[in-house]
Amino acid sequence: MHYLLVGFEDVLLDPATLFWVAFGVTLGYILGALPGLGKATGVAVSIPLTFYLGPAAALGMLIGIAKGSAAGSAVSAILLNTPGEPSSAPTALDGYPLARQGKAQKALKMGLFASVIGDFASTVILIGLAAPLAQYALLIGPVELCAILLFSLTFIGGLSGRSLIKGLIAGALGVFFATIGLETETFIPRMTFGLLELDDGIALVPMAIGMLAVAEMIVQAGNLRTLDGEMEKLTDGGAREDHFVTAAEWRRCLPVIARGTFIGSIVGILPGLGASVGSFLSYGATQKASKTPEKFGTGMIEGVAAAESADNAVVPSSLIPLFALGIPGSVIAAILIAAFILHGLTPGPLMFQQQPRLVADVYAAMLCASAILLVIGYSGQRLFARIIKVPLRLIIPGVLLLCCVGAYMETNSVFSIYVMLFFTLVGFFSRKLDFSFVTFLIGFVIGPNLELTFRQSIQLLDHDAANLIHHPIALLFIGLTVATVAWLALGSYRAARKPRRPRPRGKETIEV
Amino acid sequence: MRRANVVSGALLGLFGLAMLFFVIPWQIEAGPADMMSPRLVPTIMMVVVTALAVLLVVTNLRPRSEEAGDEAPPISPAELAALVKVGAIFALCLVLYAWVSPLAAGLALVAGTLLALGERRPLVIVLMPSALLLALWLLFYKVLGTAIV
Repeated sequence: MHYLLVGFEDVLLDPATLFWVAFGVTLGYILGALPGLGKATGVAVSIPLTFYLGPAAALGMLIGIAKGSAAGSAVSAILLNTPGEPSSAPTALDGYPLARQGKAQKALKMGLFASVIGDFASTVILIGLAAPLAQYALLIGPVELCAILLFSLTFIGGLSGRSLIKGLIAGALGVFFATIGLETETFIPRMTFGLLELDDGIALVPMAIGMLAVAEMIVQAGNLRTLDGEMEKLTDGGAREDHFVTAAEWRRCLPVIARGTFIGSIVGILPGLGASVGSFLSYGATQKASKTPEKFGTGMIEGVAAAESADNAVVPSSLIPLFALGIPGSVIAAILIAAFILHGLTPGPLMFQQQPRLVADVYAAMLCASAILLVIGYSGQRLFARIIKVPLRLIIPGVLLLCCVGAYMETNSVFSIYVMLFFTLVGFFSRKLDFSFVTFLIGFVIGPNLELTFRQSIQLLDHDAANLIHHPIALLFIGLTVATVAWLALGSYRAARKPRRPRPRGKETIEV
Repeated sequence: MRRANVVSGALLGLFGLAMLFFVIPWQIEAGPADMMSPRLVPTIMMVVVTALAVLLVVTNLRPRSEEAGDEAPPISPAELAALVKVGAIFALCLVLYAWVSPLAAGLALVAGTLLALGERRPLVIVLMPSALLLALWLLFYKVLGTAIV
């Protein structure tokens, strides 16, 4: 608590830090509102911008982008019926009908309030849970950590796409690419093809920019006409109550927001489930609990509240596994690892002991970002509604330029651009062929740690798997890994035997 | 998607085999005898990828009845065209970067993408690249106080 107060002092009394957090939230809100540009794109492209900022300002800005983007994605879902991010797809189910009834302002306001409440509550949960969990994590040895990493990767691989096999392939490929470069014990180069630039391995930032941002821009460039055509159908109601959330609506929506926040926070903590699962679960639970479930999908304000509160609650709580165990449970967490390390904070249980003040600064910046989100989202609502009318053909060139600058600045070498372009191809085809690029990235990020703990485990177990009997936690996670694979495989088999239903409308990618 | 799964599975299987039998032995030394081989983890990963790729092919070989004759390709012609266009623009920019200047590459990237995506207003094609590069210069050189190139 003492450190948290110091953190608030550091953030609130430093106008520069506060400015960069507000900048991040605003940028994130705009990126989220624009269909096709999401938090992953925003954070990946912005990491190089933070090279020259202080740690609190840099990390606050990046987390601000993630938070702003999660909230901003409701704007295009409500106004265009095209979710800015896949996780806002359930928002569109009731938000778009509300907009067609002339109640767009009401839906946007409820979306914003639900987002801010979900985000703030989930940040408090992160602050309350991460440090105590980290204390337990310190008791975990390399054998246990190796088993936990393996379990996380399998779990994420199984849940982040439609196919278990493809998810596991993506995860294994991610770990494989992480082995490129000098091996840490023997310093023997691995698959560097004589290129000195590969001795340190493949840099995460150009890879993430290529896979997430450039590949997504190309996909969007191929679908320009669909998106540009949606703006014609908008109307704006004249009645005052159509522009505001009434007291009666607040009374109906508050329990819905509380449930959505709870569901979103739990989903965020579990690696691999992602914001889409959270928002759909919350929407489904609200519909089920409603006395008039048949009205959902026709313009129920509770639908917007349920989806947005859960969607935004996922972002902060998905950082819990990262902070407590050093394991990224989402694509944002995977990208943020690079930024955290760059600014002197290695995510994991030790950071609470080694850098308590910086952790407190990050927490304070996150809480400030929630408040800033409310102010910026409320005051700029009409402006953001106008921004989404800018055609994508004017946005994509700017994003591509930023991607190149971002990738280049990581190493100050054109080699990074080649890396970015290579992984653009990987990202494009993995998107279109439904190989989870999220699992690939997470596999890449945890790869070095997985290999290190695997090596240590072999030594500790004296090259004998029977010695695992002395490591019950590792055995538990190995058992969970096997059970997860069996459960998911069985689910896939059953799903394959059932006749298919038509897919709901929305983006094809599933983002974790 | 079924056909795409078979093709991608076959390609990944070939990739895995090539890595296992050619690239890994050629590119990674065996390492000291008393230590874990540097080849071990890459080899394990490629065995996993190859085995799963074979499984992907096998599980998608037979079409399900409701899918027969109703398969849309996973990549639309418009998306492929966008990939080719953006790829060509990047190739041009890399040539300009190497032979002319980074500024020329940046201008070509923005203007080329605008043209490729259907923008035809001359004012936009001229002003937007200039404005974006000016904004980048202001942000990095003036606000953040650092050089990009």
